[in-house]
Amino acid sequence: MSGVTLRNLIKAYGELRAVDDVSLEIREGELLALLGPSGCGKTTTLRAIAGFVQPTSGTVHFGERDVTAVPVHKRNVGMVFQGYALFPHLNVAKNVAFGLKVRGWDKQRVRKRVTEMLEWVQLAKLSERRARELSGGQQQRVALARAMAIKPEVLLLDEPFSALDAKLRLQMRTEIRQLQREAGITSVFVTHDQDEAMAIADRIGVINHGRLEQLGSAEDLYKRPVSRFVAGFIGKCNFIEGRVTAPGRFAAAGGVELRFAGQHAAGPAALCFRPEHAAVGPGTAAAGDNRLPVSVKSVTYLGPATEYELISESGENLLVSASSASGAAAAPQGERLVVSWRPEDCFVVD
Amino acid sequence: MPTSAGRVLFLVFVAAVFLFLVAPLVVIVWASFFADKILTFPPSGYTLAWYARAWQLPDFASGFLMSVQVAICATLGSLLLGVPAALAVERFRFPGREPLRQILLAPMYVPAIVAGAAVYLYFVQVEIATEVQLTATFPGVMIAHTMVGLPWTMRLVCASLATTGSIAEEAAQSLGANALQTFFYVTLPIIRPGVIAAALFSFIASFTELEMSLFLVGPGKTTLPIAIVNYLEWNLDSTIAAVATVQILIIGAVLLASDRFVNLGKAF
Amino acid sequence: MVELQERRLKPGALVIPALLLVSAFLLAPLALILRFSLDLYDPAQLMQGVFSLDNYVKVFTDPFYTQVLGFTAQIAALSTAICLLLGYPVAYFISRSHSERLRSLLIILTVLPLLMGNAVRSAAWMVVMGSSGLINGLLLAVGIIEEPVKILYTPTAVVIGLVSVLLPFAIITLQSVIDSIPASLEEAGRSLGYSPLRTMVAVVMPISLPGIVAAAAICFCLAMNAYATPVLIGGPSVHMMGPLVYQQIAKVANWPFGSALAWVLMAVTLVLTVVSTTYLSRRYF
Repeated sequence: MSGVTLRNLIKAYGELRAVDDVSLEIREGELLALLGPSGCGKTTTLRAIAGFVQPTSGTVHFGERDVTAVPVHKRNVGMVFQGYALFPHLNVAKNVAFGLKVRGWDKQRVRKRVTEMLEWVQLAKLSERRARELSGGQQQRVALARAMAIKPEVLLLDEPFSALDAKLRLQMRTEIRQLQREAGITSVFVTHDQDEAMAIADRIGVINHGRLEQLGSAEDLYKRPVSRFVAGFIGKCNFIEGRVTAPGRFAAAGGVELRFAGQHAAGPAALCFRPEHAAVGPGTAAAGDNRLPVSVKSVTYLGPATEYELISESGENLLVSASSASGAAAAPQGERLVVSWRPEDCFVVD
Repeated sequence: MPTSAGRVLFLVFVAAVFLFLVAPLVVIVWASFFADKILTFPPSGYTLAWYARAWQLPDFASGFLMSVQVAICATLGSLLLGVPAALAVERFRFPGREPLRQILLAPMYVPAIVAGAAVYLYFVQVEIATEVQLTATFPGVMIAHTMVGLPWTMRLVCASLATTGSIAEEAAQSLGANALQTFFYVTLPIIRPGVIAAALFSFIASFTELEMSLFLVGPGKTTLPIAIVNYLEWNLDSTIAAVATVQILIIGAVLLASDRFVNLGKAF
Repeated sequence: MVELQERRLKPGALVIPALLLVSAFLLAPLALILRFSLDLYDPAQLMQGVFSLDNYVKVFTDPFYTQVLGFTAQIAALSTAICLLLGYPVAYFISRSHSERLRSLLIILTVLPLLMGNAVRSAAWMVVMGSSGLINGLLLAVGIIEEPVKILYTPTAVVIGLVSVLLPFAIITLQSVIDSIPASLEEAGRSLGYSPLRTMVAVVMPISLPGIVAAAAICFCLAMNAYATPVLIGGPSVHMMGPLVYQQIAKVANWPFGSALAWVLMAVTLVLTVVSTTYLSRRYF
């Protein structure tokens, strides 16, 4: 068992770089999510760890071992594929046993391990079934058992939950997370669903256009995004264009002066805040808060929260979310109000 | 994929198989230019004389002409019968549709030598019964060749229709087009590549047909493949290589033409 | 899909001409020779007009004919086996090649020799294998032999010729079945420790078994029914079913017996086609 280290990984197809200088270290035993929009290079990165993709340059290490030039079948990775890729001509038990045969295990040892794995994923009773007779969730558990049976160094999962319906998705992701923790195996999974990533991953690597934008815990990414992309991709975010004029001071395009906590170089930038950190009201706000005059575009009652769609004087669309329990009220369209938030609750990105 | 000795061996193997498939054709084309009267490797020189000689041999000249004529007629027949049939089978639902499809594809599945024998004896019976001679005649050969082309037309036009589905035609009808208009403005353009491919493959199937023609040709009414086989039973020289090369060139030209209309990689 | 009543143009009119052609000129003749096969030969009238199974009995008991049938089956089986061995790796290569252009090119190269026709192909092999052909010419020139080796007009030559006829069919059939097997299954095999070659054998082959059966059936039938290759490349000393049918019907004019031979070939083809189609329908993908 060891961690995985990627150093300056590049995968280029002609002029196009699917993976553009990615360096990251996956700690031993952690579950890391590679998160990003379709086509961002996260799957290519995963496949580079597996060995299906040969990097144009850069290295892949499992612990101390450099596996960059090692072919897939010698890397000892466990992989769960999108769609599970269970062998249709073999039953569940033989699927799970598949990787053990080639390692020269004797029949007794194989049978013992297969039983062990099937019990681990709670499918012991279905060992004689074929893949087509199993539900999606069951197939996924077989795929996991098969991958883990060989005692891999790393567990890789390619969009493992995308083929499941919503309810099953929630159920399976907690299960997989639990199983992964029990086994303590270094794992990487790829997803485009941020809720999923934030719910189960120890850390998340956000990938965009082949580059690793940010690596950190869910809280790091949400509260302290380092780039506009991360700020906008994780959760909802409001962006106010303008420039940083002095440490902690921001001049919005419309002329309003705003303050922010944290550091940022002077020059053009965007000030960001989350919808739940702002309040909207007639004009009374705590001293020291940022204020921005807006007019109401629409108000939507969602049950636990009420969402306000607002337009600032410089034409920017803003979203404020107020909990209904705090007594948020409806407001007619076009009404002029003031949005306010604390400087500590906002951040600046390029 | 990382290169390794195993992968290189695999590539060599695959290349060798393709060489095996293609080499004989290359060799016979090469041999058609040999200067020696008897086939010798390596040749002492090269000449075009055998092509001229081939044309002078009555069997080959008339065989060539007959093959071209029969192929053209058989192609027309195969299209005239096959295109409507394909339309009916793909766009209509009626009892017995699938068995009917199989029947129309049958000529492809019946062994050619069996079909040849059967059609020959049938023609003889027809002649006995009606005094109409079909053996050793142009119409007789043409009928057999049309049947050979029919499954190709069915397959290729049905594939065209199946991949596009009837959705375009339904759209046309919803916009007010009647059956005939829908056919000419919507269906026909859709099946055009399939029809052209069908024409070209029917032509090839007819031009190269051997086992059925064997029973149905006669003196003065023979096809090129039969003329080649007859010659080969007694002689093997550069003349026959020249004749074979001509057939190769014709088929090759037709294939090249068809590659523009149908992605050959997907037709099979 | 249009329901029958809604269209003014009935499908009948569209399909009847083709159906008539096939019925009149294929199905009826086949039925006719089935009837003939149950008749007996008469030197004067050609047929006696009786019903008898004698012809079929003769095919399966007369030593000469059982030998021809057996020999044909053996040659067909051998050619089929060689075809599958050569064709599977090639089909796999074509199916898994990443370049669309290479794939198209290889399929065209596979199909090209097929479309040239059996006469030309046999002629080409004669030029290669003949006593003054390419192989002998090369061996003589290099000095490996002093006299031409007899390659042509032997059963070996027939097998070589048949393999070249059958191989394109095998490759195309296998390639389309391998196409349907998702690449992720092979990747799963490789991630579990199987080398690329072992993955092909342990994962792709078993799953493509229905395709292998279908390809084998097609190849076997083509070889059993072959005419030009046995005649031109086998020569007078090689006796196979196809040429025998022709000889009995067109030369000896023993129509009943020739028809029986034809129907034996037909029956073998029918059975194998049905078996392989049923098997093929049980594919996984």
